[in-house]
Amino acid sequence: MAINVNTVYQTVLLILNKEQRGYMTPVEFNKIGGQVQLEIFEKYAEDMNQQLRVPQIDLDYSDRQINVDEKLSIFKEIDTATYTTSGHQIPFQYSGNSSTTQSWTSTTNQLTYPLIGDSISFAAKNAISNVFVDEIQYSPDQYTISGGNLILNGTSPQAGTTVVINLYSKQFYRLGTVIYSAGGTLPIQELERVGSSELYHLLSSNLTKPTTKYPIYTYKNNYINVYPQSIDFGISVNYLRKPIPPIWGMDTSVTTQYTFQASSSMNFELHSSEQTELILKILLYAGVVIRDPEIVKVAASQVQQQEINQKS
Amino acid sequence: MSIPNGGLITETNRQYYAGAQQFQAKAQTATNVPTDYVGQTFTSTFDTNLTFSSSDNASNGFNLNNFKIFTSPDANTWTELLPSSAIAKTTGTSNTASAITQKNITIAAANTSVLVGMTVLSATGAFIGVIASVAVGNQTFTCVNNLAVAISNLDVLTFKLVQPYSELNNIITINASLPPSIYVKIQLNENTLWDSNGSYSYTRLDDVIDNFLIAYVGAGKLIPSIKRTDVIFHAKRGLQEFSYDTLKSIRSQELTVPLSLTLTIPQDYVNYVRFSWIDQMGVQHTIYPANELTLRPYATPTQAGDGSIVQDSNDNNTELTSQTTEAWNSNNPRALSGAFLNDYNVADLYWQNYYNNALGQRYGLNPVTSQRNGWFVVDDRKGQFGFSSDLKEKLIIVEYISDGNAYDLDARIPKMAEEALYAHIIYSILSTSVGVQEYIVQRFKKERSAKLRNAKIRLSNIKLDEIVQVFRNQSKWIKY
Repeated sequence: MAINVNTVYQTVLLILNKEQRGYMTPVEFNKIGGQVQLEIFEKYAEDMNQQLRVPQIDLDYSDRQINVDEKLSIFKEIDTATYTTSGHQIPFQYSGNSSTTQSWTSTTNQLTYPLIGDSISFAAKNAISNVFVDEIQYSPDQYTISGGNLILNGTSPQAGTTVVINLYSKQFYRLGTVIYSAGGTLPIQELERVGSSELYHLLSSNLTKPTTKYPIYTYKNNYINVYPQSIDFGISVNYLRKPIPPIWGMDTSVTTQYTFQASSSMNFELHSSEQTELILKILLYAGVVIRDPEIVKVAASQVQQQEINQKS
Repeated sequence: MSIPNGGLITETNRQYYAGAQQFQAKAQTATNVPTDYVGQTFTSTFDTNLTFSSSDNASNGFNLNNFKIFTSPDANTWTELLPSSAIAKTTGTSNTASAITQKNITIAAANTSVLVGMTVLSATGAFIGVIASVAVGNQTFTCVNNLAVAISNLDVLTFKLVQPYSELNNIITINASLPPSIYVKIQLNENTLWDSNGSYSYTRLDDVIDNFLIAYVGAGKLIPSIKRTDVIFHAKRGLQEFSYDTLKSIRSQELTVPLSLTLTIPQDYVNYVRFSWIDQMGVQHTIYPANELTLRPYATPTQAGDGSIVQDSNDNNTELTSQTTEAWNSNNPRALSGAFLNDYNVADLYWQNYYNNALGQRYGLNPVTSQRNGWFVVDDRKGQFGFSSDLKEKLIIVEYISDGNAYDLDARIPKMAEEALYAHIIYSILSTSVGVQEYIVQRFKKERSAKLRNAKIRLSNIKLDEIVQVFRNQSKWIKY
């Protein structure tokens, strides 16, 4: 689903280099790429809101609401909100490293690779992982992370092969539905979000005061305060996580030129259908970087045209 | 038809009619070890949630459970699972003395039925301790605390689970070691079963709220978004309103009028439907309100000689006993009704001999007061019903309406009025929302009214055969 970072970089370079207009370094590309990815991602919520107000065509691939939802689905997560005295804490509020990497040189018939240091804690928190065996990225069904180990499924790589795992922490972005599950056969209940001003009226009203069947919550400072307050477990949150910033990784052993290295790279996480817009928007910023108004003009006009097509 | 297969019915016939759900414990296999038979769980699939407080029948909490657990080797003869059940207890003979400064107990022969958490009792029933751990070999056990009573060599000890089972969120955990393949049965108590029986004719208010949010709220609908608390409010208010004039009154209490001639208003009372006294044949006789005859004064302040009201040292009015009430309680209602004062006590509608001789001899009676079933009055100050003295120690039935919100079980609506409730909610929301055109509001107002009328007709239960029987009365001679 992801968009290959090298494909984007090479396309951007190709367009920029035409008629010797300019050049963009990998560092510049990574910064701009991250910025553009966030910009496109930010737009999804607004696009969805806009499309919800427009009647849709119930045909495969042409329902815009479903299409936007499909783009958002990549970033949808569900996790437990841990109970503390301040309330239920929203998951994945990191202040430390946002990624870690670990590599091994495989031995004969080795399928299990023990994680160490940050990798263990990242894995325990269900971080996003990319595994490369001899610079070839494994799909998620080709490996498992369990019990502090990376376990490759299927046949073991040849002895001496480099196995790399990159782990990226999930960063909480936007709160979605909050649910309460008491366990057993009791039904799962959705919590309703209320503002502080409503809360006190709701708590005072016998007809609408929250119950374990219809609980409510307020949200502030990364904490969910659930009512009735007897609920101190079983709260899960659906949320959107931030996209992992793209990295065009270079092979540091090559000093004469920028050479792409897959195992130290991170692809754009956006939906594949965003490739064109992604390249155009990077070009738009690239035009600013290399101070070429023509590039900016052409890219902006293309982006605008695409927007009109998507929303008219 | 007996197995739920994706329809609205989710209970088996046995669950519904007998209030029982049966399971079978793990079978003996090569892979199951003794510990596999301890702590087995069984999930209840009754529509009613299980309520659990204690599985020790010696504790008060046991009576709060709404179910019991039974076991059977053949699914035919069932034994209730209690701390005294053979499954929940075992015995052993000590093979060494243990002082009260010790925690260890050793028995002569290994016993795999002794489990952590079991209470150890002496032959006289004295408490010795609670097992904290079982050593390998199942002969030596360590208690949580030092032994409460010393053990002598060859003492017969009883090990039993005080809580042979527990329940959480409709999952039963049998703490005892279940023999392989034994049958286990959850049996609902009678009251719980009554609550469940007949429930198919109702839809729970929770379901109404959820269904409403699914079907009537969302993008492209008249209500694009709404707070769930608003829907809950309108649904509950709708249920209250429907309870007053649409839904059938199901609340009633059978009581005996005490010598004080007063009874406390039922806890969930909103208004009465009918008071009636019951004769020896079980037939109801309507008791009428004494509205025009008497009342219970809300305040009976003490008055000084000049008529002014007297206050106590706390600046509150002092009160006296109501003389109106005293006079009413001591009167003879026959003096009010115009009945013969020497009439029989039993106002039996089948008994006509007396009146056969007096037919046509009473003129000018006021039909409102010419009755001999007694009177009642509502005392709003004390929250009581008062009755006339001729109802003293009589069996009465109070039929009344509640508002459908008093208890969890009440929060349901007859299926025949479900659509009317949806119409009520949607009208209530649209009529209080900004930006909704008035013609839409009016459309839903009419729809609500029409559906409510339909619900009333449906719930009136007018059946052709019954009404034909009533109409047959017309062939009788009309008596003037």
